[in-house]
Amino acid sequence: MAVEINIPPPLQALAEGVNKVNVSGSTAGESLRELVRLYPQFRDKIFTQKGRLRSGINIFVNGKNVSPAQLARRVSAGDKIHIAYTILGG
Amino acid sequence: MALNTGKILRVNLTTGKVTTESVPEKVAADFIGGRGYGVRYLYDEIKPGIDPFSEENKLLMLNGPLAGTTAQAVSRWMTCTKSPLTGTFTRSVCGADFGAWLKFCGYEMIILEGKAEKPSYLHLTPDGCKIMDASGIWGKDTKVTQEWLVARHGKNTRTACIGPAGEKLVKYAAVVSDRRTAGRGGTGAVMGSKNIKAVAITASRRLFLADPEGYEKLAKQQVSTILGNGGFQNHKEWGTTATQDITNAIGIYPVRNFRYGQLVDYKPILGAEYRKLRVGDIGCYSCAARCGKVHTVTSGAYAGAHSEGPEYESIWAFTGSIESDSLEASIAADQLCDDLGLDTISTGNTIGFAYELYEKGLIKKSDTDGLELLYGETAPMIALIKKIGYREGIGDLLAEGTRRVAEKIGKGSEVYAIHVKGMELPAYEPRGAKSQGYNYATASVGASHCYGYAAQDIFGAPFPHPTDRFDEGNADIVIFNQNETAWHECGIACAFSGGWGWMDIFGKLLAAARGIDAYAGAELEKAGDRLFNLERAFNVREGFKRKDDYLPTRIRTEPLHTRKAKGEGQMVSHNDAFLDKYYGLRGWTKQGVPTSKKLKELGLGFAIKDITAKRK
Repeated sequence: MAVEINIPPPLQALAEGVNKVNVSGSTAGESLRELVRLYPQFRDKIFTQKGRLRSGINIFVNGKNVSPAQLARRVSAGDKIHIAYTILGG
Repeated sequence: MALNTGKILRVNLTTGKVTTESVPEKVAADFIGGRGYGVRYLYDEIKPGIDPFSEENKLLMLNGPLAGTTAQAVSRWMTCTKSPLTGTFTRSVCGADFGAWLKFCGYEMIILEGKAEKPSYLHLTPDGCKIMDASGIWGKDTKVTQEWLVARHGKNTRTACIGPAGEKLVKYAAVVSDRRTAGRGGTGAVMGSKNIKAVAITASRRLFLADPEGYEKLAKQQVSTILGNGGFQNHKEWGTTATQDITNAIGIYPVRNFRYGQLVDYKPILGAEYRKLRVGDIGCYSCAARCGKVHTVTSGAYAGAHSEGPEYESIWAFTGSIESDSLEASIAADQLCDDLGLDTISTGNTIGFAYELYEKGLIKKSDTDGLELLYGETAPMIALIKKIGYREGIGDLLAEGTRRVAEKIGKGSEVYAIHVKGMELPAYEPRGAKSQGYNYATASVGASHCYGYAAQDIFGAPFPHPTDRFDEGNADIVIFNQNETAWHECGIACAFSGGWGWMDIFGKLLAAARGIDAYAGAELEKAGDRLFNLERAFNVREGFKRKDDYLPTRIRTEPLHTRKAKGEGQMVSHNDAFLDKYYGLRGWTKQGVPTSKKLKELGLGFAIKDITAKRK
């Protein structure tokens, strides 16, 4: 069983509507990098040029916000990662 | 430790009497502060059926228990009243410094009752409150008004005021402080109906905390958490000036009066484009985000336009509504609305509606004072804003809001009026974000995006659980968002700060400010449910029923056109089924009336007799 990554609506638009991707990885960061390998168009949306998580992005593992660990958070097969934007509207 | 429940300044404008009182302990325990106090006092002190412009209406100006302190993002303030736009309970939140200044004088609430005999303003200091002659500023815009008051009372003066729109009783007139607005629901018109131009406060920083040492420790922890948070940093970088990048991409940017979900080409209005015109940032008291982005237009037809803003909603109001891609015009329009004291959302939505009426031939050039309201044309939009603000020509009609305009014009125009309960819809298309849409339908104040923002639909937030944005069944999500917003606004915690990792300290900060045991999470959630239900009882008492909880006809019967985005053809088709589920989860009857059991459970037994007759 892989790690499931859930893609938020703003990023789905970049990948022809794909909303879930199964990847392998032992940390949230590894899993996200695997996602970017499959969908390179996500790279600049998720990561800075130095490979850090962009400030407008939150990562949830099994429904829990994993800030500040974020990318170093360990994950296992069957875990669900959600990528979410911080609230921007007003 | 002495209990600190908060003090009220009560001003009877008819008699000139000014008194102070404390909030009773039980009220403080159950309703916490801010919006909780607002609904509790309005429910008690306003009889059902009154005219919002009558002397019997009251205008409340409230901060929260944490205002004026070093904690971040907790010094916002709000107006509460019976809305002239909707007839419901309404609250409208504002920023800048006014909330802190009110606290420096020792108050959490001002109650304005009655009506002054002539145009007046209040001048408040720690030593007292005087009702002053406003003939020197009546008729002036909000910028000039505030400058005049600083010149008269000194640089430590902060003001909440109305512009010409409030004086003319435009149904969606705002209260303005610095360049921020309490925009929605027409609270500025209520202020104008009382002949009050401004409340000016001259004060220096003083704190009123039950446990100052305990509070400061918690505040340091909160500040450290927030400053290190990525969401805070992103908000500091952009404010909400790039949200249109996302809403256009996913097809929920309402265009041409909610017919399309995307501009044909939205590249000219991307956040990066607004960034090129940015000249500075401003913010609220004790908030390092400084999310108000200031823009100046240096060339073209709108050269010289300078505004704190536009924020996302205002960007949409003056681009999407009329299908314009001119960010310069949006800056000019935003400035004009701030100067006149107008809610940008209702103004932009009403203008987009007027453009459709013109397109359909339901109004003509002879009705529009010669203006040709053609989609894409910005000059008529700017002209209409001025007319609305001064109630001149067709502006006098448009100042009534889309519901009343449609009632007056008839000829089937009702289907083009995009509002709930009379409040115009904001900048998220409900057919592409249905939990957001159902929040519009069921929010106490009418269609307000801030009453229960569906971050799950729009940004992928997975708590309490993820949603499919096209799914109409998430009544639990709508309730979660509405209740959470409600207890946050007892604080008054800035809506954006909720995601900055500090809400586990919120209850402890409240406790240190008040001098009580800390609020547990469950108590805060119950307080949110309590005040939402009291708002509902207020509205039921005014005659609102299930039929008032429906999204506009267009949203329920016409397919959305998203152009290149996902969601083409979507409609909101199950409003009835949603309401059955929502009311059931809320503990309300099939007509949307809180049951006696629910009211007792929340300690609102006093409201049972008021709404028993309405329960059928």
